[in-house]
Order: sequence, then structure tokens, then C-alpha cells
Amino acid sequence: MNALELKNVTKHFPGFTLDNISLTLPSGCILGLIGENGAGKSTTIKLILDILHKDSGSITILGKDNTDNMRLTKEDIGVVFDEVGIPGCLTVPEVGKVMKLTFQNWDEGTYEDLIRKMSLPTDKRFQDFSRGMKMKLGIAVALSHDSKLLLLDEATSGLDPVARDEVIEMFSEFTRNENHSILISSHIVSDLEKLCDTIAFIHKGKLLLCEEKDQLLSEYGLIHCTKEQLKDLDPAAVKHVKENPYGAEVMVLRDKIPAFFEVRPISIEELFVFMIKEVK
Amino acid sequence: MKGLLLKDFYMIVKYCRSYLLMAIVFLTVSVLNPGNTFFVFYPVLLAGMIPTTLLSYDERSGWQPYSAALPYTKAQCVSAKYLVGLICQGAILVLLTVVQGICMSMTGTFDIAELLTLVLMLSIIAPIAPAFCMPFIFKLGVEKGRIAYYVMIAIICALVVGGSTIFSSALDAKIEPGPAAVFVVLLFVALYALSWFLSIKFYEKREL
Repeated sequence: MNALELKNVTKHFPGFTLDNISLTLPSGCILGLIGENGAGKSTTIKLILDILHKDSGSITILGKDNTDNMRLTKEDIGVVFDEVGIPGCLTVPEVGKVMKLTFQNWDEGTYEDLIRKMSLPTDKRFQDFSRGMKMKLGIAVALSHDSKLLLLDEATSGLDPVARDEVIEMFSEFTRNENHSILISSHIVSDLEKLCDTIAFIHKGKLLLCEEKDQLLSEYGLIHCTKEQLKDLDPAAVKHVKENPYGAEVMVLRDKIPAFFEVRPISIEELFVFMIKEVK
Repeated sequence: MKGLLLKDFYMIVKYCRSYLLMAIVFLTVSVLNPGNTFFVFYPVLLAGMIPTTLLSYDERSGWQPYSAALPYTKAQCVSAKYLVGLICQGAILVLLTVVQGICMSMTGTFDIAELLTLVLMLSIIAPIAPAFCMPFIFKLGVEKGRIAYYVMIAIICALVVGGSTIFSSALDAKIEPGPAAVFVVLLFVALYALSWFLSIKFYEKREL
């Protein structure tokens, strides 16, 4: 079963349209939604949760339509927004008590373990937390009610590298259960590169691609060549060219490049930047 | 919905202490100055502002989209605020009734009919302002809704202070249980219920 399916989802705003988005997240997988600020990542997550109402298309979460008794479906979804959303005056134990009365499957032990593991202070108010601590608390809540799907909107931004690594490890551990899935959006591509099985690029409300990460990395590569060599390349192989005084850096399809070229592996971040520039 | 109510309780305890202090000051002044009904009405009206204050904090902290991602319906989110309003105004009303009752007893002017008239009037008037402004808040957001609330409070205060003759004659009247009193109570209950219903409908359509 797919944890998440978006088919031809469209939403219009004045000056922005999320246009005909189709995504599939199989159970047990992690899908990374990569895009610049304002590309439509948060809008997509809010549409999935029916916080924003789609103009057309269909969204299925854990096999159920997202407009059909969403209250029950949300028992199985852990959400972390960019702003988290926990009231500033609450302390960690108070958040725990509120969530215990909110989720049927709230696991107090898991919550306390995560709080200890994340070294979050229990006597401070949420408003006095650093951004990283706020994110950690949001993540602790999302992981403490036996959720099957995590929707994470920029959940790693604001975390220091060590904390980011810990959190990414937690997410990886979460998906070791084959019924657990994650949709994570970020503009910090390196985090998603470590974590995700599938990568989706979104730009100005349009989905540029949605493919398995390993497939992408094996499909594309980078070569350095002279301007003369560039002219001889099969145009179908060339996806993007960055010219410089010494020649050109070219993003290519590996299987369409002559064997004598040394093809360097491309990172997801480079791929993303090249693709965005190609669109521009 | 218990979780929503608990969260609002924590917020009231931490953000609305000044309201309680002001209510106590106004109640004290009302005891010392029994002729002026403004000091009796104001604490109850003030308690009616608590849901609006909580919504303002909710909006600032990003709680509204977050709560929409939790297993609550929008109807539950709205209902929690109406219940909080009723509980707060009810609590102040009870406190006020006790204080006024003690005050009347101490001055030897205790009159159950007069006290009941006061309580009935307060019970009817208190929810008017929240009932008027909450649908606006749930449709438009706190800032615009709050403006509507202040306008309503100003109108009520002007009526209370300026139209003292109307209120003093009303306070002089004794409550007569009968169809007219029941009709008035039912009318205000219906008004509150209509406001609740409209708020749910507006909030369900609102995108957060």
C-alpha cells in the first residue's frame, strides 16, 4: 500500500499556482521534497493535511481520501511544521499532558525517552527554546503516538550539524518498520540526500521530477570538457551546461556519453541547482 | 477536545492572570460604589475577552495550522473556545453573585429578587459581545475580529453608563418568572448557539 498518493493536485492563489502535482510515497520509504523558498513545499504538505483545500486532483493518505474522516487518519500522522506551532507558554511536561489527551495512541514512555535523548529542558517554556530545541520537541511529539506517516516541513532547519545527524538517524530508524513512511521537505539538500529513497524537485509550483535517488545518481553525471568537445556531444545527452573561461561543466545522461569521458558522480544538490537553472 | 481545553487552561493560567486581578479590583469598586453598575458589568465583559486573547496567542504561535494537523475537527477547535468563554464568564458570574450577595447581606439590603435580576441581566448581556465577534474572528482572523469586539464593548459600556436610567429602573424591577422572561433567555441562548454554528461554518471554510 502507498502511504501517500497525490494525483494531479492543483491549487491556485493570487500570484502562485501549485500546478498538477502527482507524487507517490510507498510504505516504508522516505520521499524528499526539495525546492527553493516559496516553491510550494509547505503548500503541498498543507494540501495533504486538508489545511488548504485543493482546487482539483485527489489525495490519498494511508489508503483513505484526505477529505474522508480526516480526524481518524490524523491519529496515524506525525507532523512537524517549520514554525512547529506549540504555544509559547507551555513546558515540555505540559505539552506531554495536552498530547496525551489528544492522541489515542500517545506513548508517554516514548515521549519521555525522546525528551531525555534530545536533552530538552523540562522546566523552560517553549518560547524560551532555541529554534533547534523547538524543532526537536515537535519531532518528539510526532514520534510519540505510534504514527505511520511523518510529514516534516523543514524539520531539520535550525538544527546544528550534530543535532541534525541525530534527528536524521531517528528518522532512518523510524522507517526500519516497513509500515512507516516519511515525506520530508527541505531546501537543505544534503540532509535529504542522506535520508531519502525518492527525491522530488519542486520549482515555482511545478514538479520537475520525482525519482528514486539511486536511479537519479546513476542516471546523471558531470563532465568537464572543452567548448569544442561540447559541440560534438549528443544534444540528447546534455542536460545543462555551465560555461567557464577554460571550457564547460556539463550535466549529462551517463549512458549517452562516449566512454573516453571521465564522468564524475553528481550530488543531489548539484542536480537540483542545474535543473533549476535549466528551467530559468 | 479535552486536550484543547487543557491547553487553553494552561494558557489562561499563564497569560490571563491580569484579567483576574482586574476583575477583583472592579468587584471591590462595585462593592464600595453600589450605585454604579459599570463596575459590576465590566469583569464579566472582560472574561468574555479571554477566548479572543487565547486565539490571538494561538495565531501568533502557529497553533491553528498545527491543531489542524492534530486529530481534532475544526468544529472541536471552535467549540473549545466557546466552552472556555462560557466557563470563564460563568466563574466570574458566580464570584460576582457571591460578592454582591454578601455585600447586600452586610448592608441589610439583601433581596433575592434583585440579586436574581442582576444575575439574569449579566447572564444575558455577558455573552453578547463574544457571540457577536467570534464568527468574525473565526472568519477573518484575530486582528479584524478584535476590532469588532472593541466596538461591541464600547457600545455596551456606553449603553450601561449613558443609559443608567434604563438600567437603574431595570435593576429596581423584580424578576417575574413567566413566559416573557423565558422568551428573553431562550432568545439569547439561540443567539449564542447561532454564533457558535456560524463560527464552525466559517472556520471549516477558512484556510490556515
